[in-house]
Amino acid sequence: MEEKLLTIAEAAEILGVSLDTLRRWDKNGKLVAIRKEGGVHRYYRQNDLDLFASDLIKIAHEWTTEVSELPSMFYCENSAVFQTRLAKMQNAMAQSGLSEKILPLVVAVAGEVGNNSFDHNLGKWPDMPGVFFGYDVSKRQVVLADRGLGVLSTLSRVRPELKTHVDALRVAFTEVVSGRAPEERGNGLKFVRRVIAQNPISLFFRSGDAELRLKKDNNELFITRSQSIIRGCFTIIEY
Amino acid sequence: MHIKLKKFGTTLISRQSGKEAFLAFQSTIVDIVKDENVEIDFDGVITFSPSWGDEFLTPLLNQFGNRLVLFPTNNPSVKITIKLLEDINKRSFKTKQPE
Repeated sequence: MEEKLLTIAEAAEILGVSLDTLRRWDKNGKLVAIRKEGGVHRYYRQNDLDLFASDLIKIAHEWTTEVSELPSMFYCENSAVFQTRLAKMQNAMAQSGLSEKILPLVVAVAGEVGNNSFDHNLGKWPDMPGVFFGYDVSKRQVVLADRGLGVLSTLSRVRPELKTHVDALRVAFTEVVSGRAPEERGNGLKFVRRVIAQNPISLFFRSGDAELRLKKDNNELFITRSQSIIRGCFTIIEY
Repeated sequence: MHIKLKKFGTTLISRQSGKEAFLAFQSTIVDIVKDENVEIDFDGVITFSPSWGDEFLTPLLNQFGNRLVLFPTNNPSVKITIKLLEDINKRSFKTKQPE
């Protein structure tokens, strides 16, 4: 039996992006459409759309390197949308049978990382506001990203001596200091570190050209420099 | 006075909602009589974070000191949050001993 092909309008509806975005993705190879023999119209297989949307890391990371439209299922334009989807993730994790010893911690870590993006960039987003927020309960993975100012730029307002992204990440995860001074804030990433040091959860966090890894049940910070620079922050949580 | 935090939701995460909860609670505070304890019950809360806790519990701790009493819970997100807030504020919360 011949597989049913979806029109570009149907594919746009499913992914929650515009027709122009799908045409652009087809041209640049990000999501290649199918053309019937001799035809000019673009078609898509459901399976290809599912596969595309399942690669959370690729979609989120590409968004931090180049501004583009995000599939609506992953895009939280404001904090209210993020809170709602976080509660939805909590329900999905509970339904998947995730232990009560881990579930609140994964949700709290994702919440602190996502809220950080909104708290530190409110009114200051350089181009596109909001966060990418995707999760896959079967892969036990949560991915977050933003196109905000990034950790160095945020922290250097209160710690002007900070010059590199690597130093900024170290301070962000170890010292109680807030980029929102004079407000006394900035506990979120310290919380994240504490949770991971005592639990089977791991975290990859990237801002600018600095990459930080927190390994499960380990209090050490592993920070390295990357070859390239990204806009804002990019996070992978695995549990 | 006994406060069931789940009345504010089961996912207590953001600073905004913590602040809103604290402001909403201010209208109840006037009913608290002198020397009365303010008991915080985490039963039914699924996820708790330092952002929410810092906006709700820290000002209550400043306001009521040792009259603010936290009920024991096994929820790991509550436990780690409370310890972190104590370290940051350099001040301990009074907790009710399990019976």
